Amino acid sequence: MKQRSTLFCILTDVHLWVPVVVLILGTALLMTLR
Amino acid sequence: MSDNAKGAPGRSTLSLHKLGVFCGLAAAVWLGSAEAPTKLVNAGFSPFIISMGMVMGAFVARWTVPTLLKGTGFLFDDLRDKPHLIVWAVIAGMLWAVGNTLTIFAVRNVGLAIAFPLWNTNSLVGLFWGWLLFKELRGSGIKEWSKVLGGAFAIVGGASILAVATASHSDTPGKAAIGIIAAIGAGVMFGTMYIPYRKAYISGMNPLSFVTIFTFGELGTVFLLTAINLGGVSSLAAELHRARPMLFWPFLGGFCWVIGDLFQQYAAKYIGIGRGIPLSNTNQLWGLAWGALVFYEMSGLNPAAKMLIFTGSAIMIAGAVAISMADPGESELVNWRFAMDRECDRYRLNTEQVAAVVAGDDPLAGQPHPRRWWEMLVMCTAVGVFVWLALGTRAQQITISLPWTIALVIGTLIPLGVCGTLLWQRTRFS
Repeated sequence: MKQRSTLFCILTDVHLWVPVVVLILGTALLMTLR
Repeated sequence: MSDNAKGAPGRSTLSLHKLGVFCGLAAAVWLGSAEAPTKLVNAGFSPFIISMGMVMGAFVARWTVPTLLKGTGFLFDDLRDKPHLIVWAVIAGMLWAVGNTLTIFAVRNVGLAIAFPLWNTNSLVGLFWGWLLFKELRGSGIKEWSKVLGGAFAIVGGASILAVATASHSDTPGKAAIGIIAAIGAGVMFGTMYIPYRKAYISGMNPLSFVTIFTFGELGTVFLLTAINLGGVSSLAAELHRARPMLFWPFLGGFCWVIGDLFQQYAAKYIGIGRGIPLSNTNQLWGLAWGALVFYEMSGLNPAAKMLIFTGSAIMIAGAVAISMADPGESELVNWRFAMDRECDRYRLNTEQVAAVVAGDDPLAGQPHPRRWWEMLVMCTAVGVFVWLALGTRAQQITISLPWTIALVIGTLIPLGVCGTLLWQRTRFS
């Protein structure tokens, strides 16, 4: 079986997307509040 | 994780649970004490500049302490072994920076009394992510669940009572909704920041390596947000120049913050975020002790407020005791192991090696890592920055209690010595 690249593993990791989505939402909130 | 009770041969046999609990409590002492230097800053400076000063001090410390303890050779080897985690360390730093800026908005709009309990819910957010993503508390019985969840709620509840009893209320009710949203947002940001922490530690990364990268995300984002909020980089530079006579204090606060944060990282590593974060969130007790005993902030309080402070503190301590007694059982440790295996499979890490690191016995630490000349340069630069800032500092017109200052400084140094020694004896700072 072909091994997936590290970049692919990072980009498809739910552990990445949860904090990234929260970060985007938090930054958007900050920009709205100021 | 493979064995929560035994240490490596020739090392201390302290259980990792007890070690993590000590780290969580030491973190609380240092994170709380980090507030003390910033209290020496007179009014008249933007909170963004004070925050920026703390982060700059933290940046210096986050390079100096790991270099001093482990050396850059070890840190680079550790990062080279798990390069994918650099992404998470930077994101964690960015989450902290945005969360911290949101707290400034929250305090401005609703005051500390309302804002603090709301963002202190970060431990509950962290507990949820720990359960959902890292299998923390999975397989544990109702007894452990009630100790951890009950303890976390008690700490949040105690913090709420303390905040209501001690903080001055906002006189800007029109902006209350914005403040509340900002405080909740900060809680979510801080709670989510613990995802990268836990991921790094079940992948076998050393906390000292993690913070050296974390700080780039932290400083970069704080710099950007401060520049935006102050109206540009030139305004930021002008404000920093104006703040020069007081900059030593937030720098010192940032340094203390890093010591506390390092203990928090070790707590997250050895007992997980569900248990470690609520314990370190008892830092409010120490901030309160500095405020009340050293800075006379409670002198004008009525007996009812004092009773509230006593009640809030007692509830927080009870919560911390409950979590301290919630050892993970065998079935929970099996679930922790599944979470670790996921990382090893996904990122092709050496499972045996990672298991050893997670159990506090890093094989990398056994390899020779000769000290480099630039490590001395890092040390001298850090010391030089602090000396330079201290020399230009003007005396602040604030009354403090010298005996209590000495007592609390000693009370802060003791956990550093005890917990530092325990970490060294059990894990060699692994």
